[in-house]
Amino acid sequence: MIGLNENNAKIVVVPGEVVTEERKKLGQHVYLHQGRIYSDCLGMARIDGDSASVVPLEGKYVAQAGDLVVGVLISEKFAGYTTDVNHFYPAFVSKKELPENLKPGTIVSAKVAHVNEMNELELEQSRVFYGGDLISVSPVKIPRVIGRNGSMLEVLKRGTGCSMLVGRNGRIWLKGSNVGLAIKAVEIIEREAHLDNLTDRVTSFLREEGRKAEAAKYA
Amino acid sequence: MAKKTGSEETVTYVDKSGKRLDGRKADELRKIKVEVGVIPRADGSAYVEWGQNKVLASVYGPRECLPKHLANPYKAIVRYTYRMAAFSVPDRKNPKPGRREIEISKVSGEALARAIFLERFPNTAIDVDVEILDSNAGTRVAALTAASVALADAGIPMRDLVAGIGVGKAGGHLLVDLNKAEEDAPDAVDIPMAILPNLGEVVLLQLDGLMTQKEWEESQKLAFQHVKKVYELQKEALKKKYAVEGNSGDMEAGARAAEEGVVE
Repeated sequence: MIGLNENNAKIVVVPGEVVTEERKKLGQHVYLHQGRIYSDCLGMARIDGDSASVVPLEGKYVAQAGDLVVGVLISEKFAGYTTDVNHFYPAFVSKKELPENLKPGTIVSAKVAHVNEMNELELEQSRVFYGGDLISVSPVKIPRVIGRNGSMLEVLKRGTGCSMLVGRNGRIWLKGSNVGLAIKAVEIIEREAHLDNLTDRVTSFLREEGRKAEAAKYA
Repeated sequence: MAKKTGSEETVTYVDKSGKRLDGRKADELRKIKVEVGVIPRADGSAYVEWGQNKVLASVYGPRECLPKHLANPYKAIVRYTYRMAAFSVPDRKNPKPGRREIEISKVSGEALARAIFLERFPNTAIDVDVEILDSNAGTRVAALTAASVALADAGIPMRDLVAGIGVGKAGGHLLVDLNKAEEDAPDAVDIPMAILPNLGEVVLLQLDGLMTQKEWEESQKLAFQHVKKVYELQKEALKKKYAVEGNSGDMEAGARAAEEGVVE
């Protein structure tokens, strides 16, 4: 569970703030110093049984093997393309998996096959996405856009009728008739990612907007 | 409060009622205001008003280190730039970075580097740019205070926030947070310090002037005591960003502990 204070609100911690003084397993974004567990970033303290961690509220994308990322081609090389995947360095996408010669600016998705100790990426299973829009959100908020077992993504897709592809690197590809509404909904998620009952609020927002659109049709 | 006796000007730095030139007590800080996220396109940013000092800090990175020969394959490098705006001082300052600015950039960057987990981002650079918009002594500690808040706002993993504090001596009195008039005292001693408040580490300490050992020990005590106040303001500013933002004042909804999972 997320750590709660005496007013039953989530505890926001800053770097260097004590998460717990008890002995716990170290989760993400915490470090041990003189027997106390400190946070290393701005985030929400989280104590799950015997482990302590911090869910970050800010931060850059740090790739892990298995992540799905959405990238934009920058330039062509002999055997592939350099691709901007919102990481520390551009990544390489092989031409082998792509159907034809593509222009810079094309949107592709790929799976991170391997990240080396220098944080350089190796991508595989790349696919091209034609048309649609690309938006950026903070990478630390992507888990909330997807939701538990994809619940939030399901709400978004059903409520807006858009096809969506959510990359772990904070890029979202959208295509459909109602992209504007989807962007608004994603903005709500990004703004209120640290608050409770997010799925409920997004659901009611989309329902409300849907009703408005329906009313406008017959007006 | 300055008394004129003949042609010689003698200044009373702390008067009989214990007040300083600007009405503060000997161990009172100037008014400090910290704001977070003032530059939307930066990865992290902060604005600090410290008395008359006005400081704007922005953080970009960690990002690819260019030119590449500066990159370190074992850790990130911190490129800290302290600059004073031409209009930040009474007479126009030449905007060309001078000896003083280059030195302050170097030592402040090293102070921040101690706080950041640099080894997690090999081969990258973290750019911290601090612009002094208005100054009245103590800008380097204000700049560091702003920079560390901006780093936290950028989500860069840090051991602790870096809080700055100035202590020193003027007219034989030990003072906290000296302003320009006090810094210009004939016997002035100015000690800008940057401290990791939770870990109790000193990451920046400069001193000019003479002090007895007793004064030195006392001044250190004052610094560690008052840096806590600066730290609390930094913490408050960072937490404020997530306290009620986007909650339309409905704290109850946020407080309801129905916990929502985060897919990792």
